[in-house]
Formats: sequence, structure tokens, C-alpha cells
Amino acid sequence: MWFLPEEAKALPPPSLFNRNSAWLAFSAGLASMLHNAINHKPPLKSGVHRLVLATTIGWYVGYHVTKREHYHFAKVDRDMTEYIKLHPDNFVAKDKKTFAEIVEPFNPIR
Amino acid sequence: MTFTQLLSRAALVSKVGSRSFFQGSKADMTNPNWIRVGLAFGSAAFIWGLLFKQNSADLHEYRVRNGLE
Repeated sequence: MWFLPEEAKALPPPSLFNRNSAWLAFSAGLASMLHNAINHKPPLKSGVHRLVLATTIGWYVGYHVTKREHYHFAKVDRDMTEYIKLHPDNFVAKDKKTFAEIVEPFNPIR
Repeated sequence: MTFTQLLSRAALVSKVGSRSFFQGSKADMTNPNWIRVGLAFGSAAFIWGLLFKQNSADLHEYRVRNGLE
């Protein structure tokens, strides 16, 4: 698509049922119901074809928004891992001590 | 007839200019505009088809680029 570069095609595509799709479809459907309500028509029973069309367009746009979002976060993750690989001295793993080594010996005073 | 009466009759005949209040009517909601309904449902079905095709094309492209197919 015109809003995504070529390398984005190497990412797994989002599921057809995703959050952005659901939300945008809901908003568009709500908008069509509000349009009915403003014009003094029964909100759900009138203009079902408009509701279906609005929901569909919302779902379609949401799918592409999700693709863009996935690409953005994949890019950020890739840049971060590359930076970590190029600067290993900044990311030294700390030696882990068990609690037994840190804690002072316990002398119960009863 | 008087001048005024002749003029008012002209308004009924003339199709240009303004319309009389008594000729306007509310939209008839009992007879839906089936062409518009058909277009709306048709374009919704078309967009769903586009979406399914796009998703399967993306899936195929992903598999090809990552050597899974």
C-alpha cells in the first residue's frame, strides 16, 4: 500500500478480527445511528444499509491502521535490538545473587 | 383577472425560481429508494471481498518472503 514500505510485507498480517477494526467499525456504525437520530428517524431500524456500509468501511480502514501499527512497533523493536547488539558494553548482564548470599545469618533471640 | 391573480397562477406553471411552500413535501420513508439500498449493500459486500482478498494476499506474501512456502 502507499502508506507502508516494502519491508512491511515481510511481517505477518494482522488477524481480520483486531482491535482497531472493531473500534473503528463500532464508531462508524454509531455515527450512522447518530445521523438517524438527529434526523428524527428510529436509530437502528431505519437505514440498515447505511449502518452496514459504515461498519464495513470502519472495519476495512481499521485493518490497514493495524498493519501500520504493527510495522511501526516492529521497526522500533528491530532498531532497539540492533542498538543493543552494537553497544554490548552498555548492556552487561548483572551477576545474580541468591537471597541466601545476601541475607545476614539469622540468630534468633528468644 | 387582476394583475396579482395572474402572477400567482404563473408561479404554479413556472418551474424555475423558487417553489411554493405548499408544493414541498417530506421525504417518503415508506417507499425506500431501492437503487440506493442495493448500491449500499453491494458496495459493502465489495469492500468485504476486498478485505478478505487483501488479507489472504498479505498472508501469502509473508509466507513467500520468509521462506515458508
